[in-house]
Amino acid sequence: MDFFLSNLLNGISYGMILFLIAAGMSIVLGIMGITNLAHGSLYMIGAYIGWTIFVQLGMNFWLAVFAGAVVSGIIGLLIERIFLKHLYKQVNEQVLLTYGLVYITTNLVTWIWGGRYRLQFTAPELDMHTVNLGSFSFPLTRIVITIFGILVALILWYLQDKTRIGAIVRAGMDDKEMVQGLGINLELVSMAVFFVASFVAGLAGVIGAQLLSTYPGLGENVLLLTLAVIIVGGIGSIQGALVGGLLIGLIDNFGKALFPQYAMFTIYFAMIIVLLIKPSGLLGRSK
Amino acid sequence: MSKVILQKFRYSRLVPFLFITLLLVVLPVFMPKNVQGIMTKFLIYAVFAISYDLIFGYTGLVSLGHAAFFGAGGYAVAVLSLHYGTNSFWLGGILAIIVSTLLAVVLGFISLRVTGTYFLLLTFALAQLLYSVAWNIPWFNSEGMQGIARINFPSLGIPGEIWSDATLYYFVLVIAVICYYILRRITKSPFGHALVGIREGEARMTALGYNTWLYKYMGYIIAAPFAGMAGALFAYYSRFISPAQFGLGTSFYPMVMAIIGGTGTLFGPVIGAGVVVFVEYFASLITPERWPLILGIIFVLSIMYLRSGLGVSIYKLWQKVSNSNGNSKS
Repeated sequence: MDFFLSNLLNGISYGMILFLIAAGMSIVLGIMGITNLAHGSLYMIGAYIGWTIFVQLGMNFWLAVFAGAVVSGIIGLLIERIFLKHLYKQVNEQVLLTYGLVYITTNLVTWIWGGRYRLQFTAPELDMHTVNLGSFSFPLTRIVITIFGILVALILWYLQDKTRIGAIVRAGMDDKEMVQGLGINLELVSMAVFFVASFVAGLAGVIGAQLLSTYPGLGENVLLLTLAVIIVGGIGSIQGALVGGLLIGLIDNFGKALFPQYAMFTIYFAMIIVLLIKPSGLLGRSK
Repeated sequence: MSKVILQKFRYSRLVPFLFITLLLVVLPVFMPKNVQGIMTKFLIYAVFAISYDLIFGYTGLVSLGHAAFFGAGGYAVAVLSLHYGTNSFWLGGILAIIVSTLLAVVLGFISLRVTGTYFLLLTFALAQLLYSVAWNIPWFNSEGMQGIARINFPSLGIPGEIWSDATLYYFVLVIAVICYYILRRITKSPFGHALVGIREGEARMTALGYNTWLYKYMGYIIAAPFAGMAGALFAYYSRFISPAQFGLGTSFYPMVMAIIGGTGTLFGPVIGAGVVVFVEYFASLITPERWPLILGIIFVLSIMYLRSGLGVSIYKLWQKVSNSNGNSKS
């Protein structure tokens, strides 16, 4: 029972981090039709900025979270302004260009911060604290991560489904010309979407540093996980990213606990099974 | 009779032919060993890139999983070497072709159920599955490491054959030329034109009575053995194969080569492979640890500025030159 419960809670908190990363990429992919493979790198940049501010400069953890998120958001916005806005509806070009950015950011991060693994870090008030659940104790940070994930999910879902901005964004996905014809500045909207997506990725980077340690190859590894989440959950919705993130998080945790010799294998296997049953993902809009 | 031959080898075709022959056949003899190695690598990636061009450039399918076939070919050779102690090219090469083709039959059937972004994601997922298989199953790994090491030069079963870097180069050259010739014939055939037709307008091809799904599936399968062969040659060349051969990075190589050189031309991806491999070589001489940065910048620049392709530009330039020559003669 303890085994089940601890893996369940670990899986959920891990899944929440995956959700935070994948939500932005899924929205950008589904709504703006942009495949941004550098999204994992934005996560990594957030993590490194957070590390510098919190560990190196010894400042407040929550300030580090905010700074990581803002820097990632700005870099994401720059990527959209400089490159991706010229490549609307050109999938091959987007894919290749953003993968080039993965190489560039990975190498620059190695250049600036060195190739060493950085230790996992988190807020001092959360560190070492545990919550007792019956016979076993559970680290407080993981619970905070989970609550954080739920909070962000609620905010994003509210923005997407219940507000006028969300309606404009969703309408732009279906009929760009018509939305522009209504006098809405879609360019501004897509900039905002891109910024929020990158912002959340950077935020996840600092929060998630407790679970995934920080190292130069992080961007690409996170990208692989994110793609798995998007494939399983379906493109273009917060709910899809949440379901996908939780599923991948749980599968990964239980997979590692039950069949330790087949680490990554369980994720990709799950991914293939979902794709065979429903190619557009569990909550994806089928064409 | 001689006039007919002369007409066949028109001025405009003979010169580039001689130039390429000089570059690929004669020049490497006088080159140091490591340059021969780089030339070998270039030819291997060229085969990989033209194989990808068939589905990417000609058919218009954006796959992020072409490394699946490259890796399969490499592992076919590597497993034969590790578990059966043979480095016969006749066994290894043929097994690489069979394995990658069978793999394409299965993977293509799964991936082509969907189109567009989903096709991209699905091909990526399948290649990644193979990556994790190669990583996790001990049978695919040498003792105590990830990957298979100590793969020997291929053996052709000819008594008294001696292998060196130069022999391997010419061996790869022969195979690369054969692959190029076969793919050239395929793309010039009615089948190849049908693939281009699908790229340009699938609905129209359907209206003309083509079973476009079957054509795409066939194209996907036909491209695979060439990538498998490139993978097999890569295993002989690098003497080491690792799960990274199935990875996302490997899938991106032929894509960037095709785009740099010019997609849907076969000749372009060869140029692209040359650019990438030689830039990598010079970068590794000057600043090895910055190579990924340079590669990333190549990706970005080729998308922003070279989208029509370097190979296409060279071809157009050549046509201009030869046309003005022809005019001055007449």
